[in-house]
Amino acid sequence: MKLAEARVLLNCEILDGIRLLRLEADDIARDAVAGQFVHVRCSRGSDPLLRRPISLYAIGSPATAESPGRGKPKSGASPTSSTAASPPQLKKGQIDLLFARVGRGTELLAQLAAGDTVSVLGPLGKGFHITPKTRNVLLIGGGIGMAPLSALAAQAVARDLTVTMLCGFKSEDAVLPAWLLPPEVEYVVCTEDGTAGRKGIVTDIVVDFLDWADEAFACGPRPMLSALARTPLLQKVRAQVSLEERMGCGVGACLGCVVRTKHGLQRVCRDGPVFEMKDIVWE
Amino acid sequence: MGVSLAVRLCSREDGLLELKNPVMTAAGTFGYGTEYARIVDIQRLGAIVCKGTTLHQREGNPQPRIAETPCGMLNTIGLQNIGVRAVVRDKAPIWARWQVPVVVNIAGASIEEYVAVAETLEGVPGVAGIELNISCPNVAAGGHSFGVDRLAAAEVTSAVRSVTTLPLIPKLTPNVGNIVEIAEAVVRAGADAVSLINTLSGMVIDTATRRPFLSTGTGGLSGPAIRPIALRMVYQVASAVDVPVIGIGGITTADDALQFIMAGASAVQVGTATFADPSAPLRILDGIHDFLNREGISDINELVGVSQEK
Repeated sequence: MKLAEARVLLNCEILDGIRLLRLEADDIARDAVAGQFVHVRCSRGSDPLLRRPISLYAIGSPATAESPGRGKPKSGASPTSSTAASPPQLKKGQIDLLFARVGRGTELLAQLAAGDTVSVLGPLGKGFHITPKTRNVLLIGGGIGMAPLSALAAQAVARDLTVTMLCGFKSEDAVLPAWLLPPEVEYVVCTEDGTAGRKGIVTDIVVDFLDWADEAFACGPRPMLSALARTPLLQKVRAQVSLEERMGCGVGACLGCVVRTKHGLQRVCRDGPVFEMKDIVWE
Repeated sequence: MGVSLAVRLCSREDGLLELKNPVMTAAGTFGYGTEYARIVDIQRLGAIVCKGTTLHQREGNPQPRIAETPCGMLNTIGLQNIGVRAVVRDKAPIWARWQVPVVVNIAGASIEEYVAVAETLEGVPGVAGIELNISCPNVAAGGHSFGVDRLAAAEVTSAVRSVTTLPLIPKLTPNVGNIVEIAEAVVRAGADAVSLINTLSGMVIDTATRRPFLSTGTGGLSGPAIRPIALRMVYQVASAVDVPVIGIGGITTADDALQFIMAGASAVQVGTATFADPSAPLRILDGIHDFLNREGISDINELVGVSQEK
């Protein structure tokens, strides 16, 4: 884990309110695994004070950079472009973060331009772990929860595993584009209002995949994860979840982000953010 | 030119506490020190104060526990901690191998609990002192009720004093009418030094739910937002007591730390600033060193309390 000044390579809006931030961060890219996060400073001053934890959406480690990796770049996308075309291929030593503009901190991050530097602490926390005998990987995302699952998809694809990403959104205009995922991934979209993909929420649709999947990984809003834990999912497969919580330090010191588990209180930042779904006490 | 940054927080023969520099980390913001050991060179610090420790392990308060506020944050962690026996068994042996001294912050719901915690720490290698937390605003076990009453503050200080030879440093709450009289009371009761301030009680309301945002309603405000209040209180207390004062409250830069030192603090604690920048304590240390060099001051102690001079 390193405290680094990372150079911004690009910062573009993928959808209204959702941005892709690419950073040059050699040490983080070298050490990180899918499911880990970085703690990003939004302001040089004291306001807003706290860093923002953002999970790694893509990791330009030596291994992934050599593989076919994520969606092929479309022509004409310039590195500093501020709109939705897919960016150039991620290179070794680079990391991609996907974040939603939801408050003052992330609004400041949205203003970072290529060439700026930003203070980044990471990689932090424990990532996902794919069981060696797993062949069929089911990823279950809600909205921007797709981000850490996408990093996992890249690792799974590199190991020749079959990957399906089931991802739920409110409606069509919130659907994250398929190019965010490695092309080998089957991307199943559902929307609450049926304007794109299947109509419904992921907890309704997940049952269709349970006979196929060997293992599942989920990330999304807490109510979605909590509802998932009540589906037959856990009777069928091992499942890991990535949790989100407000954080202070990000390194396990302040105890601001604890979650109740069957093994007592655990720190989302250090003991997680990835936990066994069966271990979480869902309220 | 060499400058001396060493400061003394306790001069008793059986409880000497001398720091190689005046920059400490504040309880609750630096865990047990180990959490930051791979990020910054913690051995350069003057001292570390560990997480508030009670007799038995505590789970703390429900979520949400933290809320960001202008130039600050509210917390209601609720003294989640592993308990003093686990500290002695698992943490102290690590600290004993460190150059940096570790002061244990202790809390309790009763005088008996404070005494029991202090007794457990007596003679334990790796424990350099006791910070007596009579100021955590978030739980009954945090001793806040002792910290707001000068008789109770004196009583708990005196009780712990009678069972420990360790340097004893009551940490004072700002949530009082007259912090000077609390400081004077704990000094008369045997405190070797005092540290101040702990967090200010505050609140955020979530307008969507129309309810207080934090699980306990109120929380403790920390960060640069409280610094002028902390500085004023350090200035007042330092002019009234004749033991070393440790200044705490929103210290983020070397200039902030120097203000507290000039106000009368022999040492400072950096807390919330570490969340924004884990290197803040060391950056502050380097900045103090540079200031002394620039100003031609050979000993940090020459600066302590200079602002008090008429």
